[in-house]
Amino acid sequence: MSQVTYKSKLDPVTFEVLKNAFVNLVDQMSEQILRTCYSFVIYNRDFSSAFCDAQGNTVMQGTQDISVHVGTLHLTAKAVIEDFGDDIHPGDVFIVNDPYRGGTHFCDVSIIRPIFYEDELIAFMQTKGHWADMGGSVPGSFDVQSQDHYGEGVRIPPVRIWSKGQYLADVANLLVSNMRLPEERLGDLRAQAEATQVAGNQLLQLIEKYGKETVLIAFEEVQDYVERLAKAKISKLPNGTWETVDYIDMDPELGDGLIPIRVKMTIEDDMIHYDLGGSHSYISCFLNAGYGASFSAVVAGTKTFFPEVPLNSGFYRTLKVDLPEDSVVNAPHPIAVTGFCSGAYEKIMNAIFELWSEILPERALACSFNLEYLLIGGWDRRPGYDNYFMWYDWMAGGHGGRNQKDGANALSPVFGVGLSVQPCEGQERLSPVITTHHQIITDSGGPGQFRGGCGVEKGGILTKIDRTVMSYCCDRSRSITWGIFGGLPSNPHGAWLNKGKEEEQFLGSIFSGVKVKEGDSFTRPSAGGGGLGDPLKRDPQAVLEDVIDGYVSIERARKDYGVVIWAIDPEIDQYEIDEEATAKEREYIRQNRKQWLMTPIEEVQSLYDQGEIDSLDMIRRYGVVLDAQTGKILPKSTEQYRESMYKRTLKYWQD
Amino acid sequence: MSKYQLAVDVGGTFTDVFVFDSQTNKISVVKVSSTPHNPAEGILTGVAQAKVNMEDIHFFSHGTTVGLNALITRNLPKTALITTKGFRDVPEIRRGTRLELWDAYADVAPPYIRRRDRFEVEERVDYNGNVLAPLNEQEAYELARILKRRGIESVAISFINAYTNGVNELRMKEIIQQELPGVYVCTSSETLPEIFEHERTSTTIINAVLGPILNSYIDQLTNEMKSKGYKGDVLVLHSGGGVMTSETVPKYAARVSSSGIAAGAIAGSYIAKLCGYQNSIGLDMGGTSTDISLMYNGDLRITKDWYVEYGYPIGFPSIEIQTIGAGGGSLAWIDEGGSLRNGPQSAGADPGPVCYEKGGTEPTNTDANVLLGRLNTKLLKGEMTLNKEAARQVIREKIGKPFQLSDEEAANAIIKVANANMCDALRLISIRRGYDPRDFALVAFGGAGALHGAHLAKEMEIPTVIVPPFPGITSAMGCLLVDVRHDISKTYLKNVDDVTIDELNEEFAKMELEACELLREEGIADEDMNLIRYIDMRYVGQWRSLEVSAARSIQTLDEILERFHQEHQREFAFSDRTQGVEIYGLRIAAIGVVPKPELHKYEPEGTLEEALIEYRDVYFEEAGGFVKTPIYDREKVPVLTEFVGPAIVEQMDSTTVVPPEVRVKVDEYRNMIMTIPKEGE
Repeated sequence: MSQVTYKSKLDPVTFEVLKNAFVNLVDQMSEQILRTCYSFVIYNRDFSSAFCDAQGNTVMQGTQDISVHVGTLHLTAKAVIEDFGDDIHPGDVFIVNDPYRGGTHFCDVSIIRPIFYEDELIAFMQTKGHWADMGGSVPGSFDVQSQDHYGEGVRIPPVRIWSKGQYLADVANLLVSNMRLPEERLGDLRAQAEATQVAGNQLLQLIEKYGKETVLIAFEEVQDYVERLAKAKISKLPNGTWETVDYIDMDPELGDGLIPIRVKMTIEDDMIHYDLGGSHSYISCFLNAGYGASFSAVVAGTKTFFPEVPLNSGFYRTLKVDLPEDSVVNAPHPIAVTGFCSGAYEKIMNAIFELWSEILPERALACSFNLEYLLIGGWDRRPGYDNYFMWYDWMAGGHGGRNQKDGANALSPVFGVGLSVQPCEGQERLSPVITTHHQIITDSGGPGQFRGGCGVEKGGILTKIDRTVMSYCCDRSRSITWGIFGGLPSNPHGAWLNKGKEEEQFLGSIFSGVKVKEGDSFTRPSAGGGGLGDPLKRDPQAVLEDVIDGYVSIERARKDYGVVIWAIDPEIDQYEIDEEATAKEREYIRQNRKQWLMTPIEEVQSLYDQGEIDSLDMIRRYGVVLDAQTGKILPKSTEQYRESMYKRTLKYWQD
Repeated sequence: MSKYQLAVDVGGTFTDVFVFDSQTNKISVVKVSSTPHNPAEGILTGVAQAKVNMEDIHFFSHGTTVGLNALITRNLPKTALITTKGFRDVPEIRRGTRLELWDAYADVAPPYIRRRDRFEVEERVDYNGNVLAPLNEQEAYELARILKRRGIESVAISFINAYTNGVNELRMKEIIQQELPGVYVCTSSETLPEIFEHERTSTTIINAVLGPILNSYIDQLTNEMKSKGYKGDVLVLHSGGGVMTSETVPKYAARVSSSGIAAGAIAGSYIAKLCGYQNSIGLDMGGTSTDISLMYNGDLRITKDWYVEYGYPIGFPSIEIQTIGAGGGSLAWIDEGGSLRNGPQSAGADPGPVCYEKGGTEPTNTDANVLLGRLNTKLLKGEMTLNKEAARQVIREKIGKPFQLSDEEAANAIIKVANANMCDALRLISIRRGYDPRDFALVAFGGAGALHGAHLAKEMEIPTVIVPPFPGITSAMGCLLVDVRHDISKTYLKNVDDVTIDELNEEFAKMELEACELLREEGIADEDMNLIRYIDMRYVGQWRSLEVSAARSIQTLDEILERFHQEHQREFAFSDRTQGVEIYGLRIAAIGVVPKPELHKYEPEGTLEEALIEYRDVYFEEAGGFVKTPIYDREKVPVLTEFVGPAIVEQMDSTTVVPPEVRVKVDEYRNMIMTIPKEGE
């Protein structure tokens, strides 16, 4: 507890009371949306709420908001101010989803209500929620192949949708008529607009009680407070510069070659400067991010290391963020950015995790699995059904290994750990898809002294369908989830059609419009988290426990950890660690592992072709990236991946 | 001659025994230390100390933390889960979420059943209840053999879509019962036939891990009580706000996992009704936390969103309780940004507040209350002395100096921030749910509730505060005030336009049959049964639903629909009668009415003057500082007395603060009813 050096204009009680009241008011908006929304994506917590001052600066953001929206709500409020200026009136409500104006992607729709006190504009209440469909060429509006936004869905710059209390039904209809299930979208619109009204009333009650002056001062002071709190923490850290690179799998038009996103972070006294200069130019698929989304990734990545600091514009004042123009992290209009969440976004976050792991090793975090969405849309022909359906699914996966602690198994993505996965039973009612399995994958956690969390696999069979296509939005089938401080990678992402059958097909980590028919099956894994620390230093007892629980197989216990385990009577969990063989195995790995990582790729390819090594050996032992479609090693991607692996892993092996 | 009704609240630290003498209608209370290693021991000690003979007891009901402790410590029987092939990780994948969004090191607790003990069999039912694959019996027998070898003591069975058709689950159960006789088994379709595999499985697992524990606990307690002459049933309070008998505890063990917490809410609502209020908010404030509940139109608010540990929902309806980390021991502190904070960290009982002089070094709410003169420096009839100077020093150093406030201003600031935090929680459960606090009475109890109640009410514009006669042991009384209660629910998804009244009545009739069967098993006579129907509804396309009550025999849906629109309007400030509505689920609250104590009505004895202990300077900001304030002994304050604050009323287990201009009336049950003037009046 430090001494107060700052002199507030408010007494300590009034300040604390108003600060908490602001948090409450924003969380109340969120709660109401959660209970009244129509989009299942919002229902599963892909939304956020904030209130901004008259200049558009965020005074408070919700405590349960999804990570991917943080640091963007002030930008959308400012876009409304910029476009409408003095033409903003009591009873107005605005709608915005423009990713080129500080939004994230089209599906994230902000409803913004200006709040007036005695004819003076004092604040904006805003809720942002992921609508299930925004129109465009594919259901769910995730068209992987689009290169610009025109095919993706409806772009909404700041538009007035209530004018002085009058609902502009024509405008609303124009918008939702371009979306699938327009009635539901009107339901979301209504739910969000009502929530901002409830919060607005609550703010006015605070003003009645404490007076306008006091509340407006509190707007400023709450921002100043967060800034002071954050700066006090940053000041305690050493000055310096740290840098790293993470990769998107590829640009489909360029072929083999990972797409670099570079992050250089400089701490100077009480400021943090992020420079993403040197990142690749924007690519020919929708994994690019706009300015707002990349700024959000920087905020969310940093915030992970300051979990107790509330979010508002005061926090953003401690950050200086440079995003190179026309790059994959700052794509201009009209470049497609809808898939930013699977693309640039989480790359920036994980890169920032890696940098902070150096500075605050007690909070270290290796790379986590990639956000993924599988969409199946078409005609439901089950008895009693004759309608369009959308099976829109995302999975939990493994998070990175941590200091003195394994990574979390089967957790929602870093994009938003509050995002719920959907129950299969709900999905089976709503669509002609039977889920065949939803389970943890053995050996998916990246090996390390502290193992990455395990990933999950989910798949199903298509029953009575017609005119149905499948799309997938993911990444890291090549830029595979990596370990740090000597830890190893996990497993590649990517979806399969009819796996194990004759017509088996690996579809990769991004595709759209793949035609499917009745009886087809599909499946895909989510990656585990990357390992942290040298796997040969993992306690053999911990490896044994993992084997008993089936998180790790006996075979990979030997290959990844050098721990030799004999199954005595698995039915009653009887296994034995062979200590002598373990010592020998560990020594063998120690002698060879640097060599393996430098083996020419032709030699690795031939070992793989002869079946002497498998696909996990490829990435974990040899650091090579495989094209799972062809079974061939990708030379350029491998070169890039190995370079990173030398820095993150090999460098830390003390042998 | 049996004449006593006993209620026992077994808490983590203390076991409260509440004795009601049905001949004199009088109450007595005993507090003993809890005995977590063998909870029955504490109960029996308490009963003995209350000087009550077991044969004289005709009704025994209790709340217990046995289930809660078992879950938290993972001290559970060796339990296996059996699922449909491909789904054994459902309880580990959960919904994927983490409670702490930003703290990458704050993990969700591990599943109650480890992966090694989760097994799969081949079987499948579809969304419509069609059996796509029958149970593979060979696999099932093989699995039973393995479970036997593993020494499994309890089995949870949860198959995909079993909520629509439990046939495969039941067959699996038969095989387990046949091959592993005596092992506890429960299926998801019998426990909670509701859609969503994680929520249903989680509830089933908690039932399975607690079933054997509660079974043997109740057996032991019953045997010991019977051997001492008790002839009745041992009733256990559950989170739904009712009790159940030992016969049904194994079936619904998960409901007992937060047994005690419901007691306070029930007692609070009972007292409000006794004073003539149908709308009340219960404020149960103790040393480290405060539990808040709400009663509207005579019913406590119910939720299905609850858990003991985040990530593992228990799908049975439960009384909605808002718990916040604010209590007498909550710490006041200044954070790095210079903001005055209160809680959630607490000095607890050890080291306790600074004024206890047991090693506490940070200021607490209790220290502030002592400094302001609200709390006496002599507590528990002089058994405990508080050091006011120590409280003054720490508040001056830690809060006063940094903010340049006088000692009293600093102490007052501490209390105001604590009160503001509690008001935020009160708003959460009232205004945020569409209830206007001005229509409610606040029932303030727990050790510290009455210290803060009046000021909270003033801030919230709640017109009335009720302080029950024994605020510190009010929760225990709650166990005496409940009926036997079960909730039978099922998923029933249908657009109201497609529902026929006959069909709906038929569905309910089936559930009511089951409900009556349960009550009969518990020995409830038909005339004491009360069945209430509820329908869960939502606008077509919405994801959450709202529950409305329905008539016992439904004639038309119009009335129910109208109630739904009204509820939606109240709770969310909008409704739309042009929109389609669908039914989501059905529920029966099956209530078996048991006799309640009739509390004693007292005659006035003595005068208020005789109850006066002394005058003391007490700080009231609204009066501009310290005011010479009368201090009364609650035990001597006669019933039907009225007086106006400022005043402090002291009693063994609690202190009531009556701020200036607040009018107090003591009713014939010895409740103190405070009328809070509106601001400006």
